[in-house]
Amino acid sequence: MDREIELRLVVRLKAGDPAAFEAIYEAYRPRLFGFLVRLSRRRDLAEDLLEETWVRLMTRSATLTDDARLGPWLFTVARNLYYSWRRSRAVDTSRTSELDPAWPAPERGDSPFEAAARRELERRVEAALARLPLRDRELLLLVGVEGLTPSEAAGACGVPAVTLRARLHRARVKLAAEMDADRPVPRAKAG
Amino acid sequence: MTTWEQEDELEEDLSALRVHDASPERVARIRARCVAALAARRKAEEAPEGREAPWRAWLEPALALGLGTLYLAEAVTRALAAYR
Repeated sequence: MDREIELRLVVRLKAGDPAAFEAIYEAYRPRLFGFLVRLSRRRDLAEDLLEETWVRLMTRSATLTDDARLGPWLFTVARNLYYSWRRSRAVDTSRTSELDPAWPAPERGDSPFEAAARRELERRVEAALARLPLRDRELLLLVGVEGLTPSEAAGACGVPAVTLRARLHRARVKLAAEMDADRPVPRAKAG
Repeated sequence: MTTWEQEDELEEDLSALRVHDASPERVARIRARCVAALAARRKAEEAPEGREAPWRAWLEPALALGLGTLYLAEAVTRALAAYR
């Protein structure tokens, strides 16, 4: 979202303008949901956390600063809500990270071959992300998928930017290793 | 250790991942809750009892000061009368 538009939307949201809410909701809802569903690996939980995130924004919108950055604010709240939920349930991450991704096929104007190749790549990325430890996954989701800057992601995760950059590099290495491990083996030629 | 090219390729793969969304029912429910919360907040801010009338801002402290001064003066007068 363009920064000037975002600043105007923040001011209007603070004044209680429903149209501003609608614009923010349409811009950030799918991104937040994608982040939560990939982080939690559970669609029902992601929907609950998504709802709570938006309710938090509504109850606290009057106290936002005029130069608030909505993306980092929303992702920070969503992430903290997920961690609170985990703490309250004492979730065993080894079990949730074993869940297989089951996303529907992408709908793009590719040829059948291109679509199949893209689906396969997407499946490998999703599966590799799902196998990563939560701390690595959240960094790749925030920076790689959702486009937050490392500084914004550091704010969301509550760590110094330098630490986050080092962790992000390690997470990328792990993701690459996971994807390589999942690479399809070429078939041997017959005869 | 990955090379910069590999990292760029990974970033490209990650940013190309499909966008997901909540179910239409949940999307509508969240919208309704948030719009209702905004409307309730605006109503509370616009309600006469929610807003402080401008004259109250100076009249109340002045009244309290006046009554306090009267009370103090009366107390001092009575104390002096008792010692006379």
